Amino acid sequence: MKLNRRSFIGSVAAASALAAPMVQAAGHGKPRVVVVGGGAGGATAARYIAKDSKGEIDVTLIEPTRKYYTCFFSNLYLGGFKNIEDIGHGYGTLASDYGVNVVHDWAVGVDRDAKTVALAGGSSVPYDKLILSPGIDFVDGAVPGWDISAQNAMPHAYKAGSQSELLRAQLMAMPEGGTYVMVAPPNPFRCPPGPYERISMVAHYLKANNPTAKIIIADPKPKFSKQALFEEGWNNHYGGMVERIGPDFGGENVEVDPGAMTVNIDGEVIEADVCNVIPAMKAGRIAELAGVTDGNWAPVNAADLSTKADPDIHVLGDAAQQGDMPKSGFSANSQAKVCANAVRGALTGSRVFPAKFANTCWSLIDTNDGVKVGATYEATPEKIAKVDGFISQTGESAEVRKKTYEESEGWYTGITADMFG
Amino acid sequence: MPRFSDVILPGLGVTGLVLTGALAFSTAGRDRAEFEASEAALNAVRAELDAAEARIAELNLATVTAEELEDAMERLAAFEARLAARPEGVDEAEPDPAPVVSVMLAGNAETGETLFRECRACHQVGAGAKNGVGPHLNLLFGRAAASVPDFRYSDSLKRAAANGLEWHADTLSQYIEDPRTFASGTRMSYAGMKDAQDRADLLAYLRTFSDDPSNIPEADPTAQGTDHEVDPEILALKGDPEYGEYLSSECTTCHQASGGDDGIPSIVLWPEESFVMAMHAYKDQVRPNQVMQMIAGRLSNDEIAALAAYFADLEK
Repeated sequence: MKLNRRSFIGSVAAASALAAPMVQAAGHGKPRVVVVGGGAGGATAARYIAKDSKGEIDVTLIEPTRKYYTCFFSNLYLGGFKNIEDIGHGYGTLASDYGVNVVHDWAVGVDRDAKTVALAGGSSVPYDKLILSPGIDFVDGAVPGWDISAQNAMPHAYKAGSQSELLRAQLMAMPEGGTYVMVAPPNPFRCPPGPYERISMVAHYLKANNPTAKIIIADPKPKFSKQALFEEGWNNHYGGMVERIGPDFGGENVEVDPGAMTVNIDGEVIEADVCNVIPAMKAGRIAELAGVTDGNWAPVNAADLSTKADPDIHVLGDAAQQGDMPKSGFSANSQAKVCANAVRGALTGSRVFPAKFANTCWSLIDTNDGVKVGATYEATPEKIAKVDGFISQTGESAEVRKKTYEESEGWYTGITADMFG
Repeated sequence: MPRFSDVILPGLGVTGLVLTGALAFSTAGRDRAEFEASEAALNAVRAELDAAEARIAELNLATVTAEELEDAMERLAAFEARLAARPEGVDEAEPDPAPVVSVMLAGNAETGETLFRECRACHQVGAGAKNGVGPHLNLLFGRAAASVPDFRYSDSLKRAAANGLEWHADTLSQYIEDPRTFASGTRMSYAGMKDAQDRADLLAYLRTFSDDPSNIPEADPTAQGTDHEVDPEILALKGDPEYGEYLSSECTTCHQASGGDDGIPSIVLWPEESFVMAMHAYKDQVRPNQVMQMIAGRLSNDEIAALAAYFADLEK
């Protein structure tokens, strides 16, 4: 099953020399696909289109960072289960082995009439099909007192990398018996179990290193994903350390003061040693600049992830408003393959197969205590609709939980290979 | 907690049995007067049904032993025999020829909103909904029966709840179709919504007031389930390798194409027949992994054959 990469590149060159350019590429040679964003959606889409079109499509991937730190497993880094290098990935293989033109720059505009993407560096890249997979940005003013200039004092760590390292450093520097406050986001947001897995990992670290410390969550949501599993786990492993203030106790009425390091929860002012603010989210800015958003997100058609606004622009992953799939790396990767198949079909006439989607979210509660939730989805005329699913049960045996954790490790290796080659 | 339908319906082969006796009276188009005339006889059978229901629901299918199963089957057979000898008037009713568990049709929430007029006198739904004659219907999907605080439920529903009844598309559809048959002592005095499409539309509307799977992935399904029937000539199917290649992209989210196997097994270079057998073992829930049961569960036999053909091609 391993691709022979040398012969693959060789055959690309040969095929390009012999094959006539496809007609769908309006008179300019090979059809061109531009992918903006090199995460679970974008990297996967770029790789699959390049791989499966065997050189018939020019693929450009625009991603500002040289090294991509996955948000999934970044909580495990906070808990000390991973090193930061373990979750960092480069784009070299996409360029060398799949022929993807990797451009490290910011996409700052889309001209839908001319079909070009403007880059911060000044150049512009033409496309026949544009795939936007920009992830999330934060809603301005979502948490009064917080803006992006406060992210050093009060990190979000909801885009992995330097923010994750900062939060880890702050956690390690917490005074004995100190207070860690998380301001949790409202729905919908990236990675529904993410904030609560993070709480588990923070508690895991504190239990070993600072056992009298406290964790407070201010949460605007009445319910959250895997709630019974997390609460059972917090009770079993970290009894008394975690306090969650839901909306019935004012958890949605929060203000922060990054200068004073205080959090005001419904009138009660708490002094925080670490304050992890995860604000409300919206689609990554480029989706809005391209004019394909409606409100905070980009509505898309379920069958191929094309936007409702423009059939030649597709939006994948967190930025898309697609229906029932949670905003997760697994979902973005799943959507990318459906989109890649459809885009390739539109540009080269290759066979297009029915959309099938799946997602599984694993979370780690403590050492070898893994849980998961998953579902399958189908494309309906209105949306991506959930068909069936499962969730780990409370009270599962230690062996089951260990297997679940090991499975998540295997998945991480699998999906990152699927994204970056 | 198992779904009511999981406990009651599959596995024991009682699908037809438990509800057929009751549904005998709900045959579409039957004359209402005739229906009411047989009410006394009906109540007798209802009592039997309730008792049988309670007994079956006590069984936990996850831990049931062969003896318990056999015992249950015997008691059910005895019950069936008594049903066969049911009193006159009841006897005349033809069993409903339609499948007992309604096929879940795709519903239209807008039509459902109109249909909800039939319910509105008693039930509120949406922002600020409160209990009225009936409980409010916010966050209905996935919630345990008889669980809204401060609402006085019938003993019948409370007992069903104690036996594990949860409200999902299937159980709700059965309940709305004929409330009294589903829970004989329910205080919901509603004759029932007989049209399956109407029920699907109504439920699609009510579904919009429950948790969204995009926010809480474990929230109830919103789509019609896929068909999981097994073809007897599965192994003879000839797969389409190109389709298999597309489908295989779902596998490589977790299974490494390189054949690495840390935490998740390698699936590279499997003999075609072993592959097909393993996939069907997951599909039929014989092999235990939840993710694989889910993924294989919605692959058709042709799709499994296509995957096998693709993987077999790779070996050459």
